[in-house]
Amino acid sequence: MNAVQTLKLTKKFDGLVAVNGVDLEIKKGELFSLLGPNGAGKTTTIRMLCCLLKPTRGTASVLGHDVVKTPFAVKKLIGVSPQDTILSERLNCWENLALIGKVHGLSSNEVTRRSKELLETMGLMERAKDQVRKFSGGMKRRLSIAMALVHDPQLLFLDEPTLGLDPQARRTIWEYIAELKGKKTILLTTHYMEEADFLSERIGIIDEGRVVALGTSQELKTNLLEMRSMVVSTENLTAEVMEDLQSKYSRLEKVKGRLKIYHKDLDFKEIVGYLHSRGVTVYSAALEQPTLEDVFIQITGKRLRD
Amino acid sequence: MKFWEIGKRNLKEIYRNPILLGFLLGMPVAFMLVFCAAAGGGQASPIAMSIVDEDRSQTSSAFIQYLGSIEAIELNEPIYSEKSQAQEDLEGGRISFYLFIPSGFEEAKQAQQTVNLELAYKEADRMIGLQVKPIIEAVGSEFLGVAPPLNVELKGAESKIKNVVVNFYFPGIAIFGLMILISTAAGIIAGDREKGFLARMFTTPARPWDFILGYSLPFIPVLIVSTLIYLGVGMALGLTVVGNLGHAFLIFFLIGLCSIGIGMIVGSLVKSESQAGVSWIFIVPMAMISGAWFTVEGMPSAIRSVAGALPFIHAIDASRAVLNGSSFSAIILDIYWLVGWAVVLFAVGIVLFRRTMVS
Repeated sequence: MNAVQTLKLTKKFDGLVAVNGVDLEIKKGELFSLLGPNGAGKTTTIRMLCCLLKPTRGTASVLGHDVVKTPFAVKKLIGVSPQDTILSERLNCWENLALIGKVHGLSSNEVTRRSKELLETMGLMERAKDQVRKFSGGMKRRLSIAMALVHDPQLLFLDEPTLGLDPQARRTIWEYIAELKGKKTILLTTHYMEEADFLSERIGIIDEGRVVALGTSQELKTNLLEMRSMVVSTENLTAEVMEDLQSKYSRLEKVKGRLKIYHKDLDFKEIVGYLHSRGVTVYSAALEQPTLEDVFIQITGKRLRD
Repeated sequence: MKFWEIGKRNLKEIYRNPILLGFLLGMPVAFMLVFCAAAGGGQASPIAMSIVDEDRSQTSSAFIQYLGSIEAIELNEPIYSEKSQAQEDLEGGRISFYLFIPSGFEEAKQAQQTVNLELAYKEADRMIGLQVKPIIEAVGSEFLGVAPPLNVELKGAESKIKNVVVNFYFPGIAIFGLMILISTAAGIIAGDREKGFLARMFTTPARPWDFILGYSLPFIPVLIVSTLIYLGVGMALGLTVVGNLGHAFLIFFLIGLCSIGIGMIVGSLVKSESQAGVSWIFIVPMAMISGAWFTVEGMPSAIRSVAGALPFIHAIDASRAVLNGSSFSAIILDIYWLVGWAVVLFAVGIVLFRRTMVS
């Protein structure tokens, strides 16, 4: 049995198709990411899986329970950290955790034990008795994730868990999530390709409500990328040389004095040799590792942040 | 006991918010102070009243003497024996109104029949009639006892009610104050919905009734304290409780529950805190037609029927009767009505709230 299974899952809002026939299979214990730009349908998909939205068409089951027919059976098994960090602002960490824990049926002793573990893991113990309205965005996000975990759910939904955080806070959250790998099934949505790349075992790329690619990060990069790229720092690059390169290679980009060349079979030596032969000074040249951004551009023709 | 956990959270959110708490508890005090100041508190200027005593019996004389003992009333001399004479003075502008005690007053009282009095004033001075009528009603009901059953008992020349104006208007004003719980309760639910807190809670196994009970729970202490403040400040400023204070408290508590129930319904229907302000569209008209500020007798029968179906007029009438000395049996139907409304409102709130849990 898969942890999450959707079949032609569709959600329309007043004629706008937010999620369009999504088929997903997420295995138990897997960390799966839905990667896509804002408005791609990631949050809508999660909201349907959390029983907050009724699908317009298609089916979805979570840990064997249909999200429409048996929503409360689903809700007992999941933990959710929503995109907006939503906490009870005038409650402290203990009280926020106790609220979620006890609503899930945990005893006071269990809540205390789990809260202590989580507050220590998340580095919040020192501020545990402060009202959370005084917390920074990163601290609130960590508490939000702890709240999703307090009742030890089988399936964890993390909707944009690092949205709006500075790089350091983001890295800290990544480390916490990485620690959960293999212990829980996690469905994470993000529009940060580095996040999906760093954390996920499998990634579903979603755009305009459709899952357009599915696989491990490596699979996506090797199977889907027809083109590779090379970056060259140059001087004396003439218009004639550019014209010549454009006729030979699929795509050229000039960014801050650097030339980026895209082509299916790039030959490093051939390019550098050609540039030398045309009197172009080459300061550096390197073949680039493909990124998920490249995969996204390849599939959709646009950037993730467009 | 999921509702208890949600209730505890809401309780803490309210009681750790000094502005909200100040509004909830300070408002009844401010409300009563302003009302009592406006109503004259204990120093109301007496109203000059002329009387036509057509009955000329011992009972009518006792009643006139009783009226004269009320601080709010100053009897004009002499007492008319002919209605035509008083009417002439009224039309000539020498008096502003008169109370007509018809012949048969004593017999009606002795036979425990309905006693009809007539308050005559110029149509252009309708406000005088509206102002004096409740005073006559309050004094008359104390003198004659409250029907049904007619329990006539002469209580002596000293009235227990210190200020009939305060006693008459207090229930309506206090109940209007409790109606403000409608917008506050609705606002708290709507605020949590707007911020996304409810959406987060909807991913937990809590059921609709857990939320409705959980959001109502923190208002119970607010309701109890508010009622005590209303009664306490009211009594300090001239309210006389002739009947059972506990019965009065019960009525205020029940109408407060109804208000919270309406708040739950409005909170289930609106999507933001600002939208919760829509509840005032109901609060003010309901207060008006329920007699919170003036008597309903002059209203068209259709409006009175609507008001009669709502809980507020029952709470106002019943609490007024209890404060003026009525027994519990005289208000039991109003109590049933209020309990029925509270149950219906909370049930409707749960049904509507359930719909908002998935969209």
